[in-house]
Amino acid sequence: MKKIPLCLVLLGLAGCAGVQPWERDVLARPEMSLDDSPLDAAIDDHIYFSKEASSGGRGFGGGGCGCN
Amino acid sequence: MNSSCAATLTRDADHWVGRFVAMASPCEVLIDHAPGELAQQILDAISSEAWRIERKYSRYRTDSVVNRINESAGQEMVVDDECANLLDFAATLTRLSEGAFDITSGVLRKAWTFDGGDRVPSQQQLDELLQAVGWHRIEWQRPLLKLRAGMQIDFGGIGKEYAVDSAADLVENIAPGLSCLINFGGDVAVRHPRQDSKPWRVGIESSTRIGAAARVVQLSRGALATSGDSRRFVFRAGQRYSHILDARTGWPVRNAPHSITVAADSCTQAGTLTTLAMLKGRDAEVLLKASGVQYWLQ
Amino acid sequence: MKDKDNFNATLAAATCALLGSAATPVAAEEEAGRWSFDSTLLYYGESDDRVQDISAAVSALRDFGDERKLSATLTADTLTGASASGAIALNRPQTFTSPSGRAVYTTAAGEVPLDDTFLDTRFALNASWSQPLARLYTFSAGASFSTEYDYTHLGANLSLARDFNKRNTTLSAGVAWSQDDVDPVGGRPIPLSQMLDVGNGANKRNGGESKDVLDLLLGFTQVLNRTTVLRVNYSYSDSSGYLNDPYKLLSVVDPLTGDTLVRVPVGQGPDGVYVFESRPDKRTKQSLYAEVKHAFGTPVMHFAYRYMTDDWGIDSNTAELRVRWPLGDGYIEPQLRYYTQSAADFYRASLVGGAALPRYASADFRLGDFDATTLGIKYGHGTASGNEWSLRAEYYQQNGSVPREQIVGNQANREQYPDLSAVIVQFGYRFRL
Repeated sequence: MKKIPLCLVLLGLAGCAGVQPWERDVLARPEMSLDDSPLDAAIDDHIYFSKEASSGGRGFGGGGCGCN
Repeated sequence: MNSSCAATLTRDADHWVGRFVAMASPCEVLIDHAPGELAQQILDAISSEAWRIERKYSRYRTDSVVNRINESAGQEMVVDDECANLLDFAATLTRLSEGAFDITSGVLRKAWTFDGGDRVPSQQQLDELLQAVGWHRIEWQRPLLKLRAGMQIDFGGIGKEYAVDSAADLVENIAPGLSCLINFGGDVAVRHPRQDSKPWRVGIESSTRIGAAARVVQLSRGALATSGDSRRFVFRAGQRYSHILDARTGWPVRNAPHSITVAADSCTQAGTLTTLAMLKGRDAEVLLKASGVQYWLQ
Repeated sequence: MKDKDNFNATLAAATCALLGSAATPVAAEEEAGRWSFDSTLLYYGESDDRVQDISAAVSALRDFGDERKLSATLTADTLTGASASGAIALNRPQTFTSPSGRAVYTTAAGEVPLDDTFLDTRFALNASWSQPLARLYTFSAGASFSTEYDYTHLGANLSLARDFNKRNTTLSAGVAWSQDDVDPVGGRPIPLSQMLDVGNGANKRNGGESKDVLDLLLGFTQVLNRTTVLRVNYSYSDSSGYLNDPYKLLSVVDPLTGDTLVRVPVGQGPDGVYVFESRPDKRTKQSLYAEVKHAFGTPVMHFAYRYMTDDWGIDSNTAELRVRWPLGDGYIEPQLRYYTQSAADFYRASLVGGAALPRYASADFRLGDFDATTLGIKYGHGTASGNEWSLRAEYYQQNGSVPREQIVGNQANREQYPDLSAVIVQFGYRFRL
């Protein structure tokens, strides 16, 4: 099993400017939310869990069914 | 429209309820913990203020300032401080809404009757009327106002909320610290929390079920204003056209929420935000979120 | 109105100029929260009369104000049909004993053998609660339960998130446990034992077995700019217990011809040599997932990528792209997903007769080497009352291959990997009460 290096370039992003609270107009749109369709996501995760060997990523591993 | 200049005061459980009609709306005043004479004095002050503002700014009354301005036919008029303040405020709103809100858009009501029927004006009708719409066509240099012939101003969009705040100021002078809820047709303000700290409960009418409350907001302090199309609209070909017109096009705003309620520090601020948000149509919620106020949509 | 700061300041100043006095800060709260619902009806159908599934799900969310939320989802689905069992196709018909051990079923010549057709109904319930713990901290806890005729699941999860940097950055950590019980129809077959005749349960063990899973999730969300947000998750998952699929088989084949060894049943039973699969009783997975949402004007683009690796030798890469475009009163959202995985170390297309039995072996196509593509489109439409209905259609295609060294004799002339294609149609409706 290959190990995934844990030191991520992304940690550097934490220093990103980000936006001021009053600049969150676009981000406030429902379709910009990372979890805007939790039911769709759950359904997709379930279908792919039952047909493929990988699961999760966005949230917990899911599964919990006899389909794999 | 003549409002009956009578205000009634009754006692309800632990507070006084004053009722009257002003600005074509049912008005009520809820007064917490006060002796009867004080409650009557407050009700008189509030109702007088409401009628004063109605008399001064109603476009229907021949003796109102607004009517005189609308009949001025190109003549220069001098307006007083209060009127000048309202004109300045309206100018700011026109700027903030990029022209969608405009107090000169009242003439468009000649084309639209929002009575639940299905009459929709023709583009030609609207184009003709739009010739007389536009804040940029007005010459406003405080305290001098000049309208072109055919133009009219209408403070309908901001008058009621201003009246609520103005009335609240009066109560503050008579009885500072008293918790008094002023409600002019759904525009509400409370300056101080009640003595027992219980909030006032304000029901917000459902946009689909007239008379039923869609939600109840507990208001301890501050103001609420609601903008909506539940009672005034045109329904045609499966489309519901709200009564809020975009002054730039003459058409009602599309895809606006049925109803927006905003909680803010003052009634004027709350009312302004509901109007500006409605004018954004589909993006109403974006504006409301960016403003940081609490709001409820239907 | 590009600068919201100016907007708010201008409005505040104008209101102050009009009213003169400073107003009191508002204190208002909605008395009762609202319920918002998301419901969906889904049809999933594979080609060649394989699996068909109809499922219905309802999700309810209640906002109690102050960022306290309760959500619950109830799902019911009915599955019919069968998947490839792992046995290879032959030029002759094949007969197998059904899982119950009480009957046989046959596969036609040239067809990829499927499990015995079954009908299974599953119910699942998920609930979760989230609330702020202190300023900038959010806590959430959840539980899940599901049941079907041979499988029960029970799980719980906890997570904690902390905001930094004016809520531009969020770090989160979560843990989930689950305990599943597998009670296969006809009993658990002894791994790598031969499929026996009808009525012979010598290689089956009664009683259920359990499978425990521990999941750890570390998350990082960052607002990159006004129109872009990024999320990166690292997950670690450890499963132990009964990880076999009790219904999957491997064909034992002749080393020269590659055809399944013949067997003569006593009465009714299999006419070939088939053995039940065997997987390790432990599996550790790690994955790295990143997703970006970017608004370019009104349309919104979503891109996600996931890399997964485990100690079964499987590595997978997933890439997903969706773009949502406004269309009239609604939106249209095309979707594309590409998935590729490498086979598990113990994946075998078939077992060679006479050779030593490996410790672990499975011919389950889901552990093989394959690529899968999903092409889909979703249309959503807002209704007059502020609710939304949507329609989604997707086409999923899986194409796999068997390593050359595993192809024996005549297998080279036949379909070696049971490719899969499926159509998914989903109707959704979101509403508030």
